[in-house]
Amino acid sequence: MKRFLSFVLITIATVGLAACSASSSGRAAEPSIDPGALTIAAKDLAFSTSTLSAPANKPFQIAFDNQESAPHNVAIYRDSSAAEKVFGSDPFSGPALVTYGVPALAPGTYFFRCDVHPAMSGELVVR
Amino acid sequence: MSETRIDRPLSDVDIVLRVAIVGLALGDAYIHSTLGGQLFTLNAIGYVVGAAAMVVPIAIAVRYRWLIRIGLAGYAATTIAGWIIDPIFYSTAYLAKAIEVALIVLVAIDFVRRDGNPIDVISGAIRSLLTRPHRPASGRA
Repeated sequence: MKRFLSFVLITIATVGLAACSASSSGRAAEPSIDPGALTIAAKDLAFSTSTLSAPANKPFQIAFDNQESAPHNVAIYRDSSAAEKVFGSDPFSGPALVTYGVPALAPGTYFFRCDVHPAMSGELVVR
Repeated sequence: MSETRIDRPLSDVDIVLRVAIVGLALGDAYIHSTLGGQLFTLNAIGYVVGAAAMVVPIAIAVRYRWLIRIGLAGYAATTIAGWIIDPIFYSTAYLAKAIEVALIVLVAIDFVRRDGNPIDVISGAIRSLLTRPHRPASGRA
């Protein structure tokens, strides 16, 4: 009985440690939100929009509102092959709002997605 | 495969190993359950089943614990392979991979302590399958 209790206690402690560590994921720095920032939200494992538009050759912000506990991020790639990342950030658990500062991009159509859930994706049109 | 190893009662080291394996499997299950989505949820369920199978005191589970160990280690290795194929680099992913590597190592140690040389165990199991006596048909449908 004593051995069984020790077993249960140690197991609970190990799982608890993993749980605490899992909830402390890193986040991108939060600059103050620009009124012209692009806005996007995540809920029910889907983005609120599949198309974003940004100005060319000019840094811009993305205000990302993760409305659920599942971790999400917004990562921008050159194209849908997701081979070349042009902007990335750490996924974070919600509900939380994080503002990304994205460097200037050349005109073109880019691909964005959540790295944890690649089915969550869309197009970023820079012009 | 030696019968004496299987029948041998668990020592304190065996218990610590078993607790650590179950704890790591449940910890990894928890991490995957928080990620959302069908694939991660199924992965979490797999770890819970594996953890339960490692300790459940049912005769068939006790007899085939060596196979459960191989299954759990293979499952963790498959999870790592999935991440290598489509990686995401952030703290929770690193933690999950560290847990999976530790899980494989501890399961391997547990296997050697309880079952002996894995190659001998597997070849012995295959041999016993192939040499199983053939039962004549009973004549019933």
